[in-house]
Order: sequence, then C-alpha cells, then structure tokens
Amino acid sequence: MAHPTLPSDDELIPRLLANDETSYAQIVAAYHGLMVHLARAIVGEAIADEVAQEAWVAVLRALPKFERRSSLKTWILRIVSNTAKSRLRHESRTVSLDESLEENPVIDPARLKPNAHWASPPIMWHADTPDALLASAELRRCISNALATLPPLQRAALTLRDMQGLSMEAICKILEVSESNGRVLLHRARSRIQMAIEEHEGQ
Amino acid sequence: MPSCKDITEHSSDYLDRNLPWWKRMGYWLHLVMCVHCRRYVDQLKLTIDAIGKSPDATTPDISPEEIQTIVEKMKHATKNKDG
Repeated sequence: MAHPTLPSDDELIPRLLANDETSYAQIVAAYHGLMVHLARAIVGEAIADEVAQEAWVAVLRALPKFERRSSLKTWILRIVSNTAKSRLRHESRTVSLDESLEENPVIDPARLKPNAHWASPPIMWHADTPDALLASAELRRCISNALATLPPLQRAALTLRDMQGLSMEAICKILEVSESNGRVLLHRARSRIQMAIEEHEGQ
Repeated sequence: MPSCKDITEHSSDYLDRNLPWWKRMGYWLHLVMCVHCRRYVDQLKLTIDAIGKSPDATTPDISPEEIQTIVEKMKHATKNKDG
C-alpha cells in the first residue's frame, strides 16, 4: 500500500520521470525513514543512511524501466535491499546472509525428548502483556541485543513484518526469497528473540 | 496429531493463519491438550507484540534539511544521466 501522504503510483511515477522536485521531496519524506530502517537491518546502523541515499540514486536511474509488477514502494524497498546486500558482500565477503533451518533448529534439541515432546518446557514469564514486558529496561536491552545478533535477512524479514507491518507477499519480493523461505526467515527471527527473552526470564 | 517439535516449528504459521485447515485443526487439538505448547505459542505471540512496540521498531525520522540534501543528490544524478 502506498504512503497516505503520497499521490497514487499512477500520478507519482510520471512526475518523478519528469524530474519534478516537489515529488522527489514528497517521496523522500514518505519512504526514507523506512528505507533506513530496512538498510539498518541488513548492513547495521553505521552505514544504513548512506545505503538508503545510494538507493535513491539507483531508484531514479532504474525508474524508466520500472515494469509495475509491484507497488512503487515495494520496488523501492527491493532496491534498498539489493543495495544493502551488495554492500554487505563487498564489506565482508565471509558474512552469510542467512543460515539453513537444519543448521539451527528453532528449539534446542536438548529441550525435547526423543519422541519430539518437551523434556524442558517453556518457563513462566513475569509479564503477560507487551507493555509490561517492555517496562523492564533490561528486557528492552535483551531484545535489542538479540535483534543485533540475527542474520541480516532474518532481521530484515522481522523488521518489515513485525515492525513495519508489510505483507509477506511484499516482503518476499523485497528480499527476493520464495514465500516458504520468507516464512522460515521470519519464524526463526521471532523464535530467536523469544528464546532470548526466555533465557533472560530464567536468570 | 503434531508433536511438540512440530508445534514450535509452525507456530508463526499458526499465529499468522497460514496453515491449511486440516493442519490447523491438528495444531489446535494439540494446544488444547498440551499446556507447555500453549504457553510456548502464547509467549511467541507476546514476543511478536513486544517486538512491534520495542524502541527498535521506531522508523527513523528524517529532517527537512536531510530531505533537501537527498533531493539535491537525486537532481544531480538525473542531470548526470541526462547529460
């Protein structure tokens, strides 16, 4: 869905192609924050803004070839994701964008019996609402630290879905992953944060 | 009937209503009978809600000056392209 302060894609795209400065400012005001948020998830805080700015130039260069197979917003975010991914590969060739599900199961196998039922079940948490949970500064830090240790694509899926509320269909287009892989990325990210909270609650 | 391991692996699909009805039924039956998995799924839901409300979920702000700087870069890029 387009940003509420923006005209429709049909109106906006011709204006951008005509180098209309007001439309440039409108679209930057609407999407730059979101672009930085996504870039931050993939490349980290330090160069996220630079990546988003680089992506704007790429957006304008590619706009004449935009085939409208997705919304303008989704297409722009895909350019951010690709810019961030290539930057990450360039900066650190050994970084894996994700890990396979088999390598890291959702639950530590030691917590399950051989019959795949709980041996060490989840413990009770001190709070049962998000506000009560987040009232603890330590727990906020714990969530933040857990987010920081997620593989980039998991963090990106989590950012776009649970923080920005985008649809899974849009997220898979943005990250260029299949729908099943997108769902695996999201679930693994959520589970890791859940396990970090559980560990914190158990201390 | 799914095992507890199956429940943990598909809990996002269950909460996001992305399971076919027959799997959803088996999943629901397991939750009725297993207090541990009920707690696990409730805590995943709580985790998702907390992530959405955490300070990390805030979209970064952009100032009018920053917007202008980016617009200038965009103008420069299109000029170079056209030129």
